[in-house]
Amino acid sequence: MIQVQHEDFHVDALYKRLLQRNKTGAVVMFVGLVRQFTDQPEAECRFELEHYPGMTERNLQTIVDKAKLRWPLLDVCVVHRVGRLSVDDQIVFVGVSAAHRAEAFQACDYIMDYLKSRAAFWKKESHGTDSQWVAANSNDDKSLERWSE
Amino acid sequence: MPRVKVVFFASLKEAMGKSEHHVELDLPLTITQIKQQLASDLAHGDALLASGIQSSVDFEFTRDTDWVPETALEVAFFPPVTGG
Repeated sequence: MIQVQHEDFHVDALYKRLLQRNKTGAVVMFVGLVRQFTDQPEAECRFELEHYPGMTERNLQTIVDKAKLRWPLLDVCVVHRVGRLSVDDQIVFVGVSAAHRAEAFQACDYIMDYLKSRAAFWKKESHGTDSQWVAANSNDDKSLERWSE
Repeated sequence: MPRVKVVFFASLKEAMGKSEHHVELDLPLTITQIKQQLASDLAHGDALLASGIQSSVDFEFTRDTDWVPETALEVAFFPPVTGG
């Protein structure tokens, strides 16, 4: 399942979706959250996520498809929120189920690495009257190097 | 000439002062050539020439040297992505 949505998500419900009776031996899940990005009072911190409807979903599907080719996975679930968020809100969920833990750990890590660098999302942070688009982190691109074949 | 929808996102959208633009392009052209044409045609178009501006054609990531075919419907320009 791949979802780009404004609404919050429920980790327990997503976890249950990943389970396959008599087959699942491991589930690895990652949740990314909005952390306080300035020393300003939390109430003044605003966070916005923009995406490219149509392309973003396609990017995520491509990433998941590549992960499924690389590891024997039972299921993958990616949910990414867009719109206005606040400090401590959930942003992204990546869950992977497999027969064994090694592939589940690796595939979850792989999907998050590619999601950071190859999916059309842009973050904007605001506090008070100041706002700025978050710059890409060069370490995110470096993280992809470890997956090169 | 094919009429193409060009869309902008995030900081580039703000710098351009618009989210989309419809233009007739003499395709095939490279992404670099399209950037240069739009930069001269549009107010604030210089923002397209900033380093690191990325692109896509019909929802697939492209590079500056890639050719955009006559069949292209939508070209997008945007800063490096920052999801997750």
